Amino acid sequence: MMQRIARFIIPRSLLGQVMLVLAPGLLVGQAISGVLLYRANLERHQERLVNAIAIRLIEGRERGAGFQGRPPLRAMHGERDANYRLGGPLRFRIRMQQLDRSPEQAGDVRMTEMESGLANLLEEEGVEAGEIVVLQRLAGDDPLVAEYPRLQARFRDLDWSKRPIMVAAIRNTDGKWQVARMPLAREPSGVGRSIVFQTLVIFLVLTALLYPVLRRITRPLAQLKQRVEDFAEAPDKAVPIEERGPDDIRRLIAAHNAMETRIAALLDEKDVMLGAIGHDLKTPLAALRVRIESVGDEAQRTRMAQSIEDITNTLDDILNLARVGRASDPLERTDLAALTAAVVEEFEDMGDPVELGDTQRLVAPVHATWLRRALRNLISNALRYGEKARVTVAQDGDDAVILIDDNGPGIPVDQIAAMMEPFQRGDASRNRGTGGAGLGLTLARAIAEQHGGRLVLSNRAEGGLRAEIRLPH
Amino acid sequence: MNQTDPISLLLVDDEPDLREPLAEYLTGQGFRVTEAESAAKARSQINQQRPDLLLLDIMMPGEDGLSLCRHLIENNGPPVILLTARGEATDRIVGLEMGADDYVTKPFEPRELVARIRSVLRRAANGAPSSEQNDRFYQFEGWVLDPLKRKLTDPDGVTVPISTAEFRLLLAFLDHPRAVLDRDRLLDMVQGRSAHLFDRAVDNQVSRLRRKIELDSHDPQFILTVRGGGYRFAANVSRVDPAGDE
Repeated sequence: MMQRIARFIIPRSLLGQVMLVLAPGLLVGQAISGVLLYRANLERHQERLVNAIAIRLIEGRERGAGFQGRPPLRAMHGERDANYRLGGPLRFRIRMQQLDRSPEQAGDVRMTEMESGLANLLEEEGVEAGEIVVLQRLAGDDPLVAEYPRLQARFRDLDWSKRPIMVAAIRNTDGKWQVARMPLAREPSGVGRSIVFQTLVIFLVLTALLYPVLRRITRPLAQLKQRVEDFAEAPDKAVPIEERGPDDIRRLIAAHNAMETRIAALLDEKDVMLGAIGHDLKTPLAALRVRIESVGDEAQRTRMAQSIEDITNTLDDILNLARVGRASDPLERTDLAALTAAVVEEFEDMGDPVELGDTQRLVAPVHATWLRRALRNLISNALRYGEKARVTVAQDGDDAVILIDDNGPGIPVDQIAAMMEPFQRGDASRNRGTGGAGLGLTLARAIAEQHGGRLVLSNRAEGGLRAEIRLPH
Repeated sequence: MNQTDPISLLLVDDEPDLREPLAEYLTGQGFRVTEAESAAKARSQINQQRPDLLLLDIMMPGEDGLSLCRHLIENNGPPVILLTARGEATDRIVGLEMGADDYVTKPFEPRELVARIRSVLRRAANGAPSSEQNDRFYQFEGWVLDPLKRKLTDPDGVTVPISTAEFRLLLAFLDHPRAVLDRDRLLDMVQGRSAHLFDRAVDNQVSRLRRKIELDSHDPQFILTVRGGGYRFAANVSRVDPAGDE
């Protein structure tokens, strides 16, 4: 189940996998550079703030306590004899205020980085400062802002009191505190979103660039894969494929072509050799078969003829086993019930006790000559060891199943697998005289597998052996 | 072909081990047998002796049997039975496509060979269909029978395997559509290959064939039973050239 899900999610092609690795890689890279960029921005931002506020503090002190800005719009509290002025239209400035004590109050946050930055700057400028305090507070908490509605209006949004402001103060040599205020601009936001967007753009550009390159690799590979599959299915003759793509792929294709040529030549040699063996053995057998016709003793002659037939059958099994997978007849959609009936009828005509049970019209692509051979072997086997055979054709799930049941003693469970290996025979003391080299089951299994199916042997509950040829259909 | 004029056979095989005893056996069966050890020798003997039938081995050094067979068919030579060591179905088809009249796989039962020789000669004497006509397909109600490959396909194009006996029976019906054929006549037309195939009653073969081609074998539409003993093929049969099909 997990595998199926994984197969669905994870692309299986080279292109897909490269892209799959590329996407998170890019995202991580982008995220790192984004963080660095954000950090640099923040630093610059702070630097600007420090500069701005330092200028104000210095300016305020130079003009001294006596600096007069515009008079306050409202009556001021005695303590607040500060000089202040409202700044430009878009940004409010609260100029200077002189206090007798540090402006720090409850709820403030010390901005230590800014404090050290400011200290450095003031020192560079040669301004003496006894003590430096930089605080962050909400505009609503600031007593000065709270008193001046016009200052509040500068925030231009409804909830002005939640906006942060920065309050910086230095203690002069006379012990008075020089105080300056500035609104804190919002920190740059939307960084995450822009990183995702950038990543997407880079990913698309990379994909567009990589796609043709990867196609150059994957296309010849796909062609090679197809060819290997075709060759595995029917290694009839070598069909060299065009060498293209990058050098590595070209060499792979060249190597494959060479291998295919070699395999095809070997298989051809094998066929020629088998043909020669068949011919060289069958001709003397044929001569022998003709010669025994002159044997006068009828019983002797019949036995001789039977021996020759056994040798011939064994020889055919050996030759066929060597040829499985090189079927010379094409796959044809065939009525399995009719095919099975035709084989059973051959046995009936010879007077063998084979019964055709229930059949069902099932169509499957088969090499008819080969499947007949497999059925013939299984039925012969059933007759040899089980006296009677019953053949049925049925559908089981996606499989078409041909069942051959006999009434024999069956096979001990631990020997079933071994029975399908070449030259294995059931208990040799029984039926020794009936011939057969024990290739019948091996060949039947090879033929079933050649069709993408299998041969299953099992003991029936009622007694006797059941052989099943299961074919996909 | 009467008793006073024995049938003459030319036996072509490069293996003296087989050729000699087989010639002896066939002579014993009443044939007049001459032997040839190669296709080249066979050619000159055919011209001199004009045998009634050739028994021709396929695998021979020099010119092979198939090539000689093709030459004979093209020149209206005598009928040919191919002898071969290979039992592959395609070999049989290649041989029959080449125009051979029959095909026997080594090792064969000598009696069966004799039965086939007689069958081929009987068909030749009856003016049996020439090979040219032989490879034309039969069609009835969407079914197609390829007489050369003995391949029957149903209207869906699915191959329906039939036994040799069923093939011969169906061929008899298809050659005589709508005619009433009694059991003796059917037996006569179908027999000739291996006689033992037809030891069983014609009725039995008919019922097997019905199981394969009839939708409901108890209510046949093609092969109808005629009262008084006999059968009639009730569908229209046409013959088409194989070209374009398949």
